[in-house]
Amino acid sequence: MSPVSVSTRIRHFTKRTYVRHVFLLWIFFTIMVGLFAPLQSKLMGPAASTQMEVVQETMTLFTYMAAPVAGLIFAVVTYSLLAWRSKGFVAPQYEGTNSRGNGPTTVAWILVSSLLCVVLLIWGLAEMADGQTARGDERARIINVTGNQWVWNFDYIENGNVRSQELYLPVNEPVLFHVTSVDVNHSFWIVQMGVKVDANAGAVTDMRVTPTLIGDFDIRCAELCGLNHSAMFTKVHVVSQGDYLAWILKNGGHQ
Amino acid sequence: MSHTAEVTTAKKRKGLMRKLNVWTGIVFGVVVAVAAHYLAKRYIPMGADETGTVLMDRVVITTMFGWTIGFMAGVGAFVGPYRWMMNRDLDHDDQMWLAGKDAGMARYFRFTTDHKVVGIQYLVITMVLFAVGGTMAMMIRTQLMRADSTFLNNTWYNTLVGMHGIIMIIATIIMVSGPFGNFVLPIMIGARDMAFPRLNALSFWLIFAAVPVLLSAPFLGGISTGWTAYAPLSTQAPAGMDAYIVTIIIFAVSSAVAGANITTTAVTMRARGMTWNRTPIFVFGTVASVGVAIPAFPMFMASQIFSGLDRTQGAAFYDAANGGSGWLYANLFWLMGHPEVYVILLPALAALLELTPVFSRSPLFSFNSAVGGIAGITGLSMLVWAHHMYASGWAPDLNGPFMLTTELISIPTGMLFLVFIGTIWRGRVWGRLPMLAVYAMLFNFLIGGLTGIYMSDVPVDYALHGSMYITAHFHYTLMGGALTGMIGATAYWFPKMTGRMLNEKIGIPAFVIMQVGFNVTFMGMFLVGLQGQQRRVAHYDKLFENGNFISTMGAYTIGFGALMLLYTVITSWRRGEVASDNPWGAKTLEWMVPTPVPLENFEVPPVVTSDPYGFGGPDAYDLEYEEDRRPSDDLETERV
Amino acid sequence: MKRILGILSFVGCAALFIGLIATYLLANSAAAPVLAAQVNGVATTSQGVLPHAFLKLNTYPDGEVPENFNSDHSPHSDWVSYGPSTTLQVPAHSLVTIEITNYDGGEVLNNDFFASVRGVEGQAIMNGQPFTSISPEHVGHTFTLRPAPANTTSDLFVSVPLQAVAEEDMPESGYTTKPNVVTFSFVVGEPGEFFWNCEYPCGDGTYAKFGNAMSAMRYMAGTLTVV
Ligand SMILES: [Cu+2]
Ligand SMILES: [Cu+2]
Ligand SMILES: [Cu+2]
Repeated sequence: MSPVSVSTRIRHFTKRTYVRHVFLLWIFFTIMVGLFAPLQSKLMGPAASTQMEVVQETMTLFTYMAAPVAGLIFAVVTYSLLAWRSKGFVAPQYEGTNSRGNGPTTVAWILVSSLLCVVLLIWGLAEMADGQTARGDERARIINVTGNQWVWNFDYIENGNVRSQELYLPVNEPVLFHVTSVDVNHSFWIVQMGVKVDANAGAVTDMRVTPTLIGDFDIRCAELCGLNHSAMFTKVHVVSQGDYLAWILKNGGHQ
Repeated sequence: MSHTAEVTTAKKRKGLMRKLNVWTGIVFGVVVAVAAHYLAKRYIPMGADETGTVLMDRVVITTMFGWTIGFMAGVGAFVGPYRWMMNRDLDHDDQMWLAGKDAGMARYFRFTTDHKVVGIQYLVITMVLFAVGGTMAMMIRTQLMRADSTFLNNTWYNTLVGMHGIIMIIATIIMVSGPFGNFVLPIMIGARDMAFPRLNALSFWLIFAAVPVLLSAPFLGGISTGWTAYAPLSTQAPAGMDAYIVTIIIFAVSSAVAGANITTTAVTMRARGMTWNRTPIFVFGTVASVGVAIPAFPMFMASQIFSGLDRTQGAAFYDAANGGSGWLYANLFWLMGHPEVYVILLPALAALLELTPVFSRSPLFSFNSAVGGIAGITGLSMLVWAHHMYASGWAPDLNGPFMLTTELISIPTGMLFLVFIGTIWRGRVWGRLPMLAVYAMLFNFLIGGLTGIYMSDVPVDYALHGSMYITAHFHYTLMGGALTGMIGATAYWFPKMTGRMLNEKIGIPAFVIMQVGFNVTFMGMFLVGLQGQQRRVAHYDKLFENGNFISTMGAYTIGFGALMLLYTVITSWRRGEVASDNPWGAKTLEWMVPTPVPLENFEVPPVVTSDPYGFGGPDAYDLEYEEDRRPSDDLETERV
Repeated sequence: MKRILGILSFVGCAALFIGLIATYLLANSAAAPVLAAQVNGVATTSQGVLPHAFLKLNTYPDGEVPENFNSDHSPHSDWVSYGPSTTLQVPAHSLVTIEITNYDGGEVLNNDFFASVRGVEGQAIMNGQPFTSISPEHVGHTFTLRPAPANTTSDLFVSVPLQAVAEEDMPESGYTTKPNVVTFSFVVGEPGEFFWNCEYPCGDGTYAKFGNAMSAMRYMAGTLTVV
């Protein structure tokens, strides 16, 4: 038994018919899984805030990273089933390989998955660091949000004593929500802006968002809060800064 | 003279123990419950400023504990310790009687210590729980078929969501380590029984006692909280919540007992020669699972004890106005909640890892990776709980670290995937039902796992948390991954446990229908989740109507497939084709003993000289290297 | 033959099992009987001349008043409840006027927001006097209405507080003779479903006093269907 160099082994390996078939299947499945990326963004709708843009970017990136991994696994098992199936209900006449593992493959697998993991992590931390910078943003308009079984209240504390049950926001202006609850836990979710934080009794939680689209969007309570949880929704009206001011003044507030 | 008298008394006393069974348990349980109810109502004091609600909670909890203690006494759970205290420890005859020697069917209906009986009992109760929880899922989906459906009112909807959740969680936690961890695992390691046979029976009958407690919740005003039972909503909930609390306390005791038992058995009772390297992978998975459960469930128990004290004594653990915090609950809950995912998943995956070599006729690919993967998941599973709380507002600065630990889990999980596909690669894929389960699990769990990575990312989680996307994700892992694994395990060990083959002529179509229905259901749920539908709502925006309709149709398909599968299991069990001792040609020890398995499993303790994965022959392609030539074609080498 | 019988009996058992649960659920999920509004003439509103529909409701400290649905259909007739029914029905494109007679006492709201009259057409009237808000310390109940999630054609939000009957006017037994009568109107458009509930914490003895009557249908919560 003469020793065979790694490069020879790899060369032989890649020349095998089944390896080529699996490779084609891999490409096929990778594309199939990758197609989910645009679909996801489409289902989530146009991003109504900078935060939602990041969310959709992340999901797209993760899907593209996941596609080859999922594609490889699908390809290997699909090809094995199609090509090496032992038909019928009796035990297979032939045995499979007696290989008990393959060191280089295992090492490569672990290295690649670790690498992907590091990419995910760095990406995530970078996103969060962006959020952190926004946290120090002094210009953010503060609005108090109160959850109540089963209504949301908004206090525009920087514009006098204005209180509403639907939310009004000026476009392209960062907002800082101070969120709390007078009873059980709720979760303050502005759906199309991709942001959410729980409303807890006896505590104030923070949430930042910068709306980027003018229009009406949905606020839904995302934490089961009892009988009429499903009815705990309202609208957010993102309007121009002039319209926002007009609305504030109409409701007895000041600039 | 006095000697004879003693023998007669002893016989008489033994006679009482031998009259106890599940029926005496139920009767005694009801009697004690009624007595406890009456006493509690009569004597539990009520403060001047307290209302009837608090009193009712106290009475209900007392009644439920009364039932549990009464039932356990009546079924004979305390016979052993009682006799020991009386200095009349159980003799050999008693032990044999407890083990169900020559008792026929009756041994399944009493406190029997034989691990094989306990395994079958677990299997049956698991299937009953799935039937109940599954029916509830059908009701939920029926309500959600249309946006403004009035099939259920909000109270019932919330209750069913909570009941479905907790019943399925309990069922999936016990579904593999219960039936197979008890029946198969001891034989697999060459033991004659579990380390603590009486604790084994205890763990099962505690679950049995907990079932009526849990099912009483709808009649006590329901559960308005979902299965997470978040405080302070749980403090506000009607008396149905007390049923939840008591159930969890009983269940936590049961799982602690079972965990200690299985762990001890696997560590100390392996056959001679069965080093860790030769121990089947299923043993690793099960031990890891119950090992994770041992620290995790006491947290759950504590969370529910606090919840009960808040409800009945105004303890204010979770009441912010009096110094408590809802975040305390959330932390305790998820300290159990995330490890629990792996408590469910690990033994199911390990069962599939166990059968994949048998159905590929090749050794487990990289045994060490499999063990390492299981160990890695086990370790990390304790360190990720707060990824369920990214959006809760609790300690936002911890989101980064928890994102790190969560994403790290993808590495050991990936190792398990490698083991699966490596084993299948160049194997002989034998397309029986157990192997189909492996395929279905790989597909579903991959989707479940990858979507899990999305949500480990903090900003993405802000967008998706609390939406139907989450519901779809965890059903892909727990149902598509774990439950599919359990079905595979059932199909695999069915011949050994029942002595009959599972009829695959109906079984395979049923399984395929279930899988198709499953994917339709939860793809629909991913869809509405991305569109922005929140979880646990009885009514929703018209926008989500199409996706929900798809989900409901898929759910009915699952229901149909599940009924077919249940039919197959019942009929095969009763009059299926009689199985040989080792129908799959497997190499683990449970296939080396006769079917039905004799009372003490092995006549002669086995000696193990290799691991059970010695399948396969030299791969035709690897032989070529020696001659350094290309294969002329695939088919020819296939025939070597 | 034996096999077919086996299948049939299995299907029968499964159907029975599911059927029993479904029937039980349906029976217990049933809403209170429909209380339809009476149309009487037309009214001039901000949205033109519309048919005028009237509803009369009451709130008693318990559900034992004979005219109320909960008196003989409820496991909790001691719970505070709206009456005569909580399932309301009004005609589409009309002005709805609801008159609520409150016989119940009360205290402080969890949320002041509900002490003000919100979203009504014209003015709300209490005991003959127009009002826009009451003291948040003396609220008996509220009537708070919003569209069901599936109702995408309307963004109606109406909330009206009911003044609590003064402490000294609440008798030891029986009901007060000095109830507060509140009348308010709102305009409904296209057919659709609305949810309404009380926002005063009257579910005594539970966290935030939102349990019991506040956390079950038929007592302090119901539906309003526009047909
Ligand atoms: Cu809420
Ligand atoms: Cu988790
Ligand atoms: Cu009220």
